[in-house]
Amino acid sequence: MPDSATELLERPADEGAGSEIAAAEPDELVAADLLVEEISIDGMCGVY
Amino acid sequence: MSISSPLADFDLDAAWRLHPQVSVRPERFGALLYHFGTRRLSFLKSPALLTVVRSLESEPSARSACSRAGIGASDLPAYTRALARLADSQMICGRSAA
Repeated sequence: MPDSATELLERPADEGAGSEIAAAEPDELVAADLLVEEISIDGMCGVY
Repeated sequence: MSISSPLADFDLDAAWRLHPQVSVRPERFGALLYHFGTRRLSFLKSPALLTVVRSLESEPSARSACSRAGIGASDLPAYTRALARLADSQMICGRSAA
Protein backbone atom coordinates (compact mmCIF):
# COMPACT_ATOMS: atom_id res chain seq x y z
CA MET A 1 0.00 0.00 0.00
CA PRO A 2 1.33 3.43 -0.83
CA ASP A 3 2.65 5.61 1.93
CA SER A 4 -0.11 8.14 1.34
CA ALA A 5 -2.77 5.55 2.04
CA THR A 6 -0.96 4.47 5.18
CA GLU A 7 -0.77 8.06 6.33
CA LEU A 8 -4.49 8.44 5.73
CA LEU A 9 -5.26 5.44 7.93
CA GLU A 10 -3.03 6.75 10.68
CA ARG A 11 -4.78 10.11 10.88
CA PRO A 12 -7.34 10.81 13.56
CA ALA A 13 -10.87 11.00 12.19
CA ASP A 14 -11.06 14.75 12.62
CA GLU A 15 -8.21 15.43 10.21
CA GLY A 16 -8.74 15.85 6.52
CA ALA A 17 -8.65 13.28 3.72
CA GLY A 18 -8.17 16.08 1.20
CA SER A 19 -8.88 19.76 1.49
CA GLU A 20 -10.01 19.89 -2.13
CA ILE A 21 -12.79 17.45 -1.25
CA ALA A 22 -13.73 19.44 1.82
CA ALA A 23 -14.16 22.52 -0.31
CA ALA A 24 -16.42 20.73 -2.77
CA GLU A 25 -18.85 18.84 -0.58
CA PRO A 26 -21.33 19.60 2.21
CA ASP A 27 -19.91 19.21 5.70
CA GLU A 28 -21.71 15.98 6.50
CA LEU A 29 -20.45 14.32 3.32
CA VAL A 30 -16.92 15.28 4.23
CA ALA A 31 -17.42 13.91 7.72
CA ALA A 32 -18.73 10.63 6.32
CA ASP A 33 -15.73 10.46 4.01
CA LEU A 34 -13.52 10.78 7.07
CA LEU A 35 -15.37 8.00 8.87
CA VAL A 36 -15.32 5.40 6.10
CA GLU A 37 -12.76 4.73 3.39
CA GLU A 38 -13.23 1.92 0.90
CA ILE A 39 -10.89 0.09 -1.45
CA SER A 40 -11.07 -3.04 -3.58
CA ILE A 41 -8.24 -5.52 -3.41
CA ASP A 42 -9.04 -7.00 -6.84
CA GLY A 43 -5.84 -7.04 -8.82
CA MET A 44 -3.68 -6.65 -5.73
CA CYS A 45 -3.52 -10.36 -4.86
CA GLY A 46 -2.20 -12.27 -7.85
CA VAL A 47 -0.21 -14.89 -5.94
CA TYR A 48 -1.24 -16.71 -2.81
CA MET B 1 -17.13 13.49 -7.64
CA SER B 2 -20.51 11.85 -8.03
CA ILE B 3 -22.66 10.87 -5.07
CA SER B 4 -24.84 7.82 -5.56
CA SER B 5 -28.44 8.06 -4.40
CA PRO B 6 -28.42 5.03 -2.03
CA LEU B 7 -26.40 7.13 0.40
CA ALA B 8 -29.40 9.40 0.85
CA ASP B 9 -31.86 6.54 1.27
CA PHE B 10 -30.42 4.84 4.32
CA ASP B 11 -33.15 3.93 6.82
CA LEU B 12 -31.82 4.83 10.22
CA ASP B 13 -34.87 3.33 11.90
CA ALA B 14 -34.56 -0.09 10.27
CA ALA B 15 -32.81 -3.12 11.79
CA TRP B 16 -29.33 -3.71 10.36
CA ARG B 17 -26.54 -6.16 10.90
CA LEU B 18 -23.00 -6.82 9.81
CA HIS B 19 -23.07 -8.88 6.62
CA PRO B 20 -22.26 -12.55 7.43
CA GLN B 21 -19.43 -12.54 4.89
CA VAL B 22 -17.70 -9.61 6.56
CA SER B 23 -14.81 -9.98 8.96
CA VAL B 24 -13.93 -7.22 11.43
CA ARG B 25 -10.43 -6.45 12.60
CA PRO B 26 -10.20 -3.74 15.27
CA GLU B 27 -7.39 -1.26 14.75
CA ARG B 28 -6.03 1.74 16.61
CA PHE B 29 -7.80 4.12 14.23
CA GLY B 30 -11.08 2.17 14.31
CA ALA B 31 -11.33 -1.05 12.31
CA LEU B 32 -10.83 -2.83 9.03
CA LEU B 33 -13.79 -4.60 7.47
CA TYR B 34 -13.19 -7.20 4.80
CA HIS B 35 -16.01 -8.60 2.68
CA PHE B 36 -15.17 -12.12 1.45
CA GLY B 37 -17.82 -11.92 -1.26
CA THR B 38 -17.03 -8.58 -2.85
CA ARG B 39 -13.33 -8.60 -1.87
CA ARG B 40 -13.59 -5.04 -0.68
CA LEU B 41 -12.02 -3.43 2.32
CA SER B 42 -13.57 -0.65 4.34
CA PHE B 43 -11.68 1.37 6.89
CA LEU B 44 -13.73 2.59 9.81
CA LYS B 45 -11.77 5.59 10.94
CA SER B 46 -13.60 6.05 14.20
CA PRO B 47 -13.75 3.68 17.19
CA ALA B 48 -17.28 4.94 17.81
CA LEU B 49 -18.32 3.81 14.34
CA LEU B 50 -16.93 0.37 15.13
CA THR B 51 -19.05 0.35 18.28
CA VAL B 52 -22.09 1.27 16.21
CA VAL B 53 -21.42 -1.43 13.62
CA ARG B 54 -20.87 -4.08 16.27
CA SER B 55 -24.05 -3.22 18.11
CA LEU B 56 -26.30 -3.18 15.03
CA GLU B 57 -27.09 -6.86 15.49
CA SER B 58 -28.41 -6.42 19.00
CA GLU B 59 -30.19 -3.09 18.57
CA PRO B 60 -33.66 -2.63 17.07
CA SER B 61 -32.43 0.08 14.71
CA ALA B 62 -29.33 1.84 13.48
CA ARG B 63 -30.54 4.92 15.32
CA SER B 64 -30.55 3.10 18.64
CA ALA B 65 -27.13 1.62 17.88
CA CYS B 66 -25.81 5.14 17.35
CA SER B 67 -27.45 6.32 20.54
CA ARG B 68 -25.93 3.45 22.52
CA ALA B 69 -22.51 4.30 21.10
CA GLY B 70 -22.88 7.86 22.36
CA ILE B 71 -23.34 9.51 18.98
CA GLY B 72 -24.91 12.90 19.59
CA ALA B 73 -27.46 14.65 17.44
CA SER B 74 -24.84 16.88 15.86
CA ASP B 75 -22.78 13.89 14.72
CA LEU B 76 -25.71 11.72 13.68
CA PRO B 77 -25.88 12.92 10.03
CA ALA B 78 -22.23 12.03 9.44
CA TYR B 79 -22.64 8.62 11.05
CA THR B 80 -25.82 8.03 9.08
CA ARG B 81 -23.98 8.70 5.86
CA ALA B 82 -21.11 6.48 6.99
CA LEU B 83 -23.59 3.66 7.63
CA ALA B 84 -25.22 4.36 4.28
CA ARG B 85 -21.87 3.96 2.62
CA LEU B 86 -21.32 0.66 4.43
CA ALA B 87 -24.77 -0.52 3.33
CA ASP B 88 -24.08 0.53 -0.24
CA SER B 89 -20.91 -1.56 -0.24
CA GLN B 90 -22.76 -4.49 1.43
CA MET B 91 -20.66 -4.38 4.59
CA ILE B 92 -23.91 -4.12 6.53
CA CYS B 93 -27.31 -5.32 5.43
CA GLY B 94 -30.89 -5.25 6.54
CA ARG B 95 -31.43 -7.83 9.22
CA SER B 96 -34.01 -9.68 7.16
CA ALA B 97 -31.82 -9.59 4.03
CA ALA B 98 -28.86 -11.70 5.19
